Amino acid sequence: MNDDRARHPELEHLIAQVLDRGTWLASGIITVGLLSSLVGWPSMGIVIGGIALLIALPVIRVLLMLIVFVRERDHYFGAIALLVLTIIVLSALLGVHMAGRMSG
Amino acid sequence: MNLGFSVWLFAVSMGASALGGTLGMASGIFIVPILIMFGGVAIHTAVAASMVSVIACSCGSAAPFLRGSLTNIRVAIVLETATTLGALTGVFLTGVVPVPFLYFLFAVVLLVSAWQMVARQREPPITSENAPMRDWATSLRLHSSYPDGALGRDVSYLVQRVPLGLALMYGAGLISALLGIGSGVLKIPAMDTALRLPIKVSSATSNFMIGVTAAASGVAYFALGDINPHIAGPVAIGSVVGALLGARFLMVMSGEKLRLFFVAVLIALAGQMLLSAFGVHWIGHVA
Repeated sequence: MNDDRARHPELEHLIAQVLDRGTWLASGIITVGLLSSLVGWPSMGIVIGGIALLIALPVIRVLLMLIVFVRERDHYFGAIALLVLTIIVLSALLGVHMAGRMSG
Repeated sequence: MNLGFSVWLFAVSMGASALGGTLGMASGIFIVPILIMFGGVAIHTAVAASMVSVIACSCGSAAPFLRGSLTNIRVAIVLETATTLGALTGVFLTGVVPVPFLYFLFAVVLLVSAWQMVARQREPPITSENAPMRDWATSLRLHSSYPDGALGRDVSYLVQRVPLGLALMYGAGLISALLGIGSGVLKIPAMDTALRLPIKVSSATSNFMIGVTAAASGVAYFALGDINPHIAGPVAIGSVVGALLGARFLMVMSGEKLRLFFVAVLIALAGQMLLSAFGVHWIGHVA
């Protein structure tokens, strides 16, 4: 039995790097936006941008997994990652639909 | 923008995240009730803000677990099909479920969490020799090993009862989306009792998964306009700073006293949420 059967060391390091740097970048953007609004600049758009990046990070992570699984010819797990991405897209569409119904 | 209120949001989120982190609890379970009861924030706005901070904490703390080979990313992506589907259901239900029911559900989750904190006991993980080999986990190649620092060697583990784990994770995703929490309340039975993951793998993997689960409802709340940057911004930054501090607190504070303090806080918040569910409000708002 192979002990490393569920390990993907390169993918794990890539994801670690993306999530780590992404969180710092998004937090930095949000902080800059909040601080500039304290001195009176209209900067809530910057804060929203930082929040959008934060929400995008886990989605990017699933996308990276999809790409690596497909490249490793692990089609079963490629399909599983694609399913997770599809559900997230459906949720976004549901949000857009519910927003439209509330305003319309 | 009200400077005092922003600072209050930042401080509350930092405190909740630092203290929650020391006991392995996501901060949302404290942040959402505090925002609602003391901050006068509407429940949907509080849930959306908490969702952003859940994502920030999950992504911000994932790297060391991944580099230490504790996170089982195959188990994570399999279970994420269930948690995101649960989140999608939760988003749909937010438009249907009345607010008092959300308060009631939150109170139940708080009480169960308090009980779990007192009673959490672990069955020893099944070793490679005596477990069934023809099951979902084997065909999906989920079994793995992790390096144990204390033992100085790799420890192999088998993953059990994946269908039960998936069912519990669907519930966890649903509750997470409805209440803006990491919903450890269902993840603990799912990861420990159903899948029987070793504690380090279980914590690392569920922390990894909650980011995607929260993002699945986060995208919908973003589209719905529930994410108020004046509230979600300070809450997110406070949570990230708190999570960084929490890792240090862990070294200096007594575990047992902290545990009892947390149980008391959870029960007090549950009582407040129950009163809110029945329309009683007697706590003053700071803003």
